[in-house]
Amino acid sequence: MADEATRRAASQVPLLKTHAGPRDRALWPARLKEEYQALIGSVEANKKSDSDWYRLESNADGTRWSGSCWFIHELLRYDFRLEFEIPVTYPVTAPEVAIPELDGKTAKMFRGGKICLTEHFAPLWARNAPRFGLAHLMTLGLAPWLAVEIPDLISKGLVVHRERQGDVAAAE
Amino acid sequence: MADEWEEIRRLAADFQRAQFADTVQRLSERNCIEIITKLVQDKKLDVVHTLDGKEYITPAQISREIRDELYVHGGRINIVDLQQIINVDWVHVENRAGDIAKYDKGVQLVLGQLIDDSYLDRLAEEVNDKLQEAGLISIAELCKNYDLPGDVLNEELSKRLGKLIQGEMDEYNRGVIFTPAFVARHKARIRGLFSAITRPTPVSSVIAAFGFQEHLLYSVLEELVNTGRLKGSVVGGRQDKAVYIPDIYSKTQNAWVDAFLKQNGYLEFDALVRLGIPEPSSYIKKRFKSSKLLFLRAACVGQALVDQVEASVEEAVNSATWTDIQPILPSCLSVEDMGMLIAEAMRSTNVQSSARVLGDTVVVSEKFISNCLSLFDDAMQQKAQKEVKNNPVFLITEDDLKQASMLTESTSTSKKDKREAERKKKSTEGSGSVKSGGGGNAREIRIRKTKKKGRRDEDSDEETGPAQQNRSKQTAAPFMAQEDIVAVLEERVSDCPEEILCELAEHLVRPLNKAYQEVLRSVFLSSSSAPSRANKKQSMKDLQEEINSLYNNIRLFEKGTKFFSDETQVHIAKHVLKTVCSDVSNILVNFLAADLMMSVEDPSTFTPEVRVKILGKLSEDTRGPLMKLHNCLNGKTIEDFLTNIETCAEVCGFMLKKGDKKRERQALFLHRQALMEQLKETEDPALVLHLTSVLLFQGSTHCMLHAPGRCVPHVIGTLCGRIPAEQQQLVSAYQSLVVKQLVSQSQSRKQEEGEGEAAGEQEEEARSVRSQLLLLTPQLKDLTLSQRKTSTAED
Repeated sequence: MADEATRRAASQVPLLKTHAGPRDRALWPARLKEEYQALIGSVEANKKSDSDWYRLESNADGTRWSGSCWFIHELLRYDFRLEFEIPVTYPVTAPEVAIPELDGKTAKMFRGGKICLTEHFAPLWARNAPRFGLAHLMTLGLAPWLAVEIPDLISKGLVVHRERQGDVAAAE
Repeated sequence: MADEWEEIRRLAADFQRAQFADTVQRLSERNCIEIITKLVQDKKLDVVHTLDGKEYITPAQISREIRDELYVHGGRINIVDLQQIINVDWVHVENRAGDIAKYDKGVQLVLGQLIDDSYLDRLAEEVNDKLQEAGLISIAELCKNYDLPGDVLNEELSKRLGKLIQGEMDEYNRGVIFTPAFVARHKARIRGLFSAITRPTPVSSVIAAFGFQEHLLYSVLEELVNTGRLKGSVVGGRQDKAVYIPDIYSKTQNAWVDAFLKQNGYLEFDALVRLGIPEPSSYIKKRFKSSKLLFLRAACVGQALVDQVEASVEEAVNSATWTDIQPILPSCLSVEDMGMLIAEAMRSTNVQSSARVLGDTVVVSEKFISNCLSLFDDAMQQKAQKEVKNNPVFLITEDDLKQASMLTESTSTSKKDKREAERKKKSTEGSGSVKSGGGGNAREIRIRKTKKKGRRDEDSDEETGPAQQNRSKQTAAPFMAQEDIVAVLEERVSDCPEEILCELAEHLVRPLNKAYQEVLRSVFLSSSSAPSRANKKQSMKDLQEEINSLYNNIRLFEKGTKFFSDETQVHIAKHVLKTVCSDVSNILVNFLAADLMMSVEDPSTFTPEVRVKILGKLSEDTRGPLMKLHNCLNGKTIEDFLTNIETCAEVCGFMLKKGDKKRERQALFLHRQALMEQLKETEDPALVLHLTSVLLFQGSTHCMLHAPGRCVPHVIGTLCGRIPAEQQQLVSAYQSLVVKQLVSQSQSRKQEEGEGEAAGEQEEEARSVRSQLLLLTPQLKDLTLSQRKTSTAED
């Protein structure tokens, strides 16, 4: 299930230790701390390898997260807004990442723009809970999804680069 | 707790900082590749990436590397190998290699391989070494060895001929290089070999035998022949068929042919072929243009021989004889050729019409043939006379009827005088008619025979008579069989080979037959028209007498039948009708037929069909009664026949006299006499019984009886009471024995067909019956013989 690339990606992200959800008053801060540290590590690694591809920030108690991600295809950068909430059963259940802009454009997505990760990522997550955190969610969940879906959507013309949007509109 | 959150807040801030910190300005590998690709696309950079994609290389470097590799590989390298070594896409390697070959004079691209001059020089040196060693080397072989195309090798090597390679190339065949020494050696061998040849030799066999180079051989041979060093010629050009013919051979050949022709006057084509002249006739025509030669199928013949033949033909014609050409002709001539020669001779001497060729080689003058024909004149005349006397008859066949005037004749050569023959035949061939009718059995026939005439001295001629007649119906009457003609000729013409006689006879048969028929007809006409008037009267008288006697006999037979019961009467009557009555009517019909020139000598051979046919030809007034007569032959009563015959006889102009007592008695006596004669001679028990019973019947009733064999029991039955008892017993005992024997015979015949077990027993029985019969037969014979005495006494 986990191929070589996935394994390498996962190995770069520090693993988490605390098993606690947002309802767990006592341990949630510890978990949240670890999440941040993992995220920082992940982002720094990305920056180092010239493959920085997302921004994230959370609310105060760390249960709602939002930000943006981008994908470079044929030397053009496509930006998407993303958001998700930490589920109550976290970290046993993975959060559902949503990209509202793409809602309705692809079949691999639930209503509300939640990307469909059940096939590959859900079992991976289930096996690695609670050591996987948000950084893993981004690296192993969203990144592969984007890599597969975005070129497809672009080729179908469902996703158009900002600079070209005007051209398309003019053409239409 | 608050600390915790504090720390979290700090971490979140760190996270944000981390996120917004500037990315390190650094080109990743991916970016580098993208940039270079872009540059290459924009033609700002000219590089080629290696196959593994790890390195870029400039075209100049590729060229340099190619040159290096070429050098390393000794001046020859395959582009495929190069591509693997340099590890750049095939297209680039090929392009660069092509460029190098194009711009560098010392390098060329051959079959996907780069080859430079140093390599070729080395190759030439190698070739030279080999050449000096072998004396000859073929480009094809080099091609194979060095794996280079022939034209390239050819070109490169010829560039280096004389410099690096000490040798030369064949002018005609550029595929071979040889050294002068080799050529000289070769030439010497060829000169020697062909000087030694004395007979036509196929060049190919020489090549095979001595291993010459074919191309070299031809050119050398041509040169030698042209310069006159070799006395001979090559026929057939430079091919497999080429044959070297030494002059000495053709000289001897011609000498032989001349000598042979001079000596023998002919030339056999076969002999010339054996000498090795492929087309004899054209050869002869070319060689002996001036002399007149006669060309036959398998030989040609000189004028001398033709003259000879002509002379003998002429002589034969002039002297009205024959001559056999064969002895003066060479024995090797075929029959066909001899025929052609003779025909030619006859044409040139102009004797075609007065001579003919027999037996292939014998020329016979027509005069000779006509002489031969005349040899037969006398014999023909005699034979015709005899024939006419014997058988003034026309056989009645459909064909003959159509051409009624044509004379046919029976070949019967009876020695007896006519009447006697006729009388005899009435009895003997009467039986023949019954036989052919498929009627009664043998016993019956023989009895009747004796009854009628009592003559046993039948001639074999007469027996064969009808058969021959039948045969001669098909063919016109021959005069003589071919063998007979041959025999006669052999007698008259001396010293003629038999085959010739045979053929001559064959020639003669038809004209002879024709002539014979002419003669026969003339003789017949002369004999049958005027002079036979008297004869006819005589024969009329005879005929009348005969008919009368037969008529009376029939009447007497009829009387005899009255003694029997109705059924038996019918049997006997039928028998009488079929035999004696048929004879009478046949005689009548034949008599009438004689008027139409259709009569036969022996009327009793008429079958009912023939009779009807003849009747159909008769005139109206005679046909009616005779038809009736003919029809009543198939009837049941003799009375009908008698009344009919009376009217018929009237129509035919015969007088039928009813017999008086005296005549009757005479007839009775004759009949018995005949029967007894036969009885004396016969040994067959059944016949003995038959005759005896008939005789006894006649003795007791004074009536003649003409009964078929199967009526014998009835006859014996009627005898009962008329003869003494002991005779009666004897007869019945004998009868039972005969019956037994017949039964056993038929049984044994059956057993032969099937399988008998009681064969021995029956044989035993049969043997005893036979012995008893033997014992009784003399007694029974005595019976009648003694009776004769008494009866004669009574008479």
